[in-house]
Amino acid sequence: MSSNQWEIGPIFRALMRNKVGAILIAIQIAVTMTIVVNSIFIILERATKIERESGIDEINSFYLTTTGFGSNFDPKSTATNDLELIRSTAGVLDAIQINAIPVSGGGWSMSFQTEPGEEKETEGAAIYMVDEHGINALDLEVIAGENFAAGDVRWRPAGVRDWPDNVIITKVLAESLFPDIGYQDVVGKTIYIQQNEPMIVKGIVDKIQAPWVGWDDLEHTVLTPEITEFESNRYYIRAQPGQRDAIMPIIEEALASSNKQRIIRGMRTVQETRERSYRADTAMIKILSTTMIILTIVTGLGIVGLASFSVNRRKKQIGTRRALGASQQAIVRYFMLENFLISTVGVLLGAVLTVGLNMLLVNIFSLNALDWYFVPAGMLVLWLVGQIAVFGPAKKAANIPPALATRTV
Amino acid sequence: MLTMTEVKKIFRTDLVETHALRDFNLQVDEGEFVAVTGPSGSGKTTFLNIAGLLETFEGGKYELDGQDVSRLNDKKRSQLRNEKIGFIFQSFNLIPDLNLFDNVDVPLRYRGFKGAERKKRIEESLELVGLANRMKHLPSQLSGGQQQRVAIARALAGNPRFLLADEPTGNLDSKMALSVLELLKQINDQGTTIVMVTHDQHLATQAKRNIYVRDGRVSELSELTDINEINLHQAANG
Ligand SMILES: Nc1ncnc2c1ncn2[C@@H]1O[C@H](COP(=O)(O)OP(=O)(O)O)[C@@H](O)[C@H]1O
Ligand SMILES: [Mg+2]
Repeated sequence: MSSNQWEIGPIFRALMRNKVGAILIAIQIAVTMTIVVNSIFIILERATKIERESGIDEINSFYLTTTGFGSNFDPKSTATNDLELIRSTAGVLDAIQINAIPVSGGGWSMSFQTEPGEEKETEGAAIYMVDEHGINALDLEVIAGENFAAGDVRWRPAGVRDWPDNVIITKVLAESLFPDIGYQDVVGKTIYIQQNEPMIVKGIVDKIQAPWVGWDDLEHTVLTPEITEFESNRYYIRAQPGQRDAIMPIIEEALASSNKQRIIRGMRTVQETRERSYRADTAMIKILSTTMIILTIVTGLGIVGLASFSVNRRKKQIGTRRALGASQQAIVRYFMLENFLISTVGVLLGAVLTVGLNMLLVNIFSLNALDWYFVPAGMLVLWLVGQIAVFGPAKKAANIPPALATRTV
Repeated sequence: MLTMTEVKKIFRTDLVETHALRDFNLQVDEGEFVAVTGPSGSGKTTFLNIAGLLETFEGGKYELDGQDVSRLNDKKRSQLRNEKIGFIFQSFNLIPDLNLFDNVDVPLRYRGFKGAERKKRIEESLELVGLANRMKHLPSQLSGGQQQRVAIARALAGNPRFLLADEPTGNLDSKMALSVLELLKQINDQGTTIVMVTHDQHLATQAKRNIYVRDGRVSELSELTDINEINLHQAANG
């Protein structure tokens, strides 16, 4: 096929004589592209956010809160007995008492610094209080230094404000605190909590998220070796693979009957906790996907409508073109090209609007700036939508009999 | 040149079968100017559409320029139409959204001519019909006679062997009709074979040869002039 058969010039000039419909469709394409591209960008960002791993064995774990009452309630013996009971239950892989749950949205944080004193640079980090079972129960890996020994673990009464001598920190926190050395060399270093209180880094773990999924320093986490003697405490239980749901009621029942001086509440799987924490994000993904799909379909139908209308309006012209030597293929090409020209105006305008809307979202909602390739990708998608939508009407046009040129007056 | 032997065309609808052409026999030689007359519904347009490869037919044989065109695919038929045949229609059939230049350009693009070649041909053929100075005008800015001249320019721009015209003067007043006919005669003098369907006896007699179609057949007609009668017999026997 010769390039001279591409009728871009005449098609464009003919379009300019019937601007209104074409311009409306171009604007619709531009708006659709703007919303689709920004939606996809937001969806992908949210999806990436949701997909981040907490670092713990989420699937097999659950937790519950036990709250003691009465004047003779003894938190220490309760905790000791409870942990012994839970750990010896069949189907339990390990269990700990812990002050906060990853991805739950609630927890403690403190500031840490590498030199003592006021007005030093600090790094915030979440704190999980665990005993020597913490690493195993949470499914962490000590990648430098070592785990807490039983002797490191202390009791922490309510109201106490000082901190244990040893800590385990995440690799990310180690690298933030000591950017100039490898994380392995952070083992043995002293860091300071509450400005002046020294703690020695005993080990480095690969990864555990802080409880707040929206926090920038999500992997700034510190494990301290302590068991709290509060009225209310949390147990975190990691089941043997596949045993979680079976042992949840068993543990609840066993704890309840072993000590009548407390109530058990808030038993929940980590999985459910994750779903709750990301609920706004999943909802946003669903809303945006639906909007995007509906809008694309509406635009596609708009293109089908305009093309069908213009095919019907130009039946005689099409017959004449056929009489003058247009093959069916040439007629299909005519309408595809016409749509391509309209779409091109649409996606160029769309590119500007897409970036504009993104800039607006960046300013108002502090979203991230769009990666550049989203724009050409969006243009390509809308071009494709147009070509697919126009194909049916174009085929219909190609089937208009050439004899129509002489049969209609 | 253009030979139809026993060509049949039947239009079928749910209720009726219309035999538009029954054993249609006709030979048109190079350089002829044939006027086709006949009553309404006799099959003139059908004949012209088949001759111009716009419609297929059921039985018989049709040779165009020595080539049997009974069983060609759409692409091949379109190509033949584009190269060998120029069409002129009763209602001109100019494309309303295109100016005269672009209108004449339409068949040339399907032909695959390069830009410079197309421009030359468009200018020459618009020159021939006396409208070269109005190339940028739209069809709606012209009179009917002028529009038909543009359509003739469009039909001729690709140098076809045949010009097929279905009632080319049907929408024109008699003065304009005569000028269009003069133009066609001039084109015929330069070697293009013309087949023209018309209901205007007066115009028909100015063609070199007359044939009369009745009931889907080429038929004899007593009121024709002698010279035309001879032609008619030739056609029937050829
Ligand atoms: N597409 C069609 N479907 C059904 N019948 C048709 C069709 N085209 C033409 N005919 C019929 O075929 C016959 C010949 O028509 P046509 O060739 O247009 O006659 P003319 O041009 O001599 O007036 C007429 O009876 C007409 O009604
Ligand atoms: Mg007719």
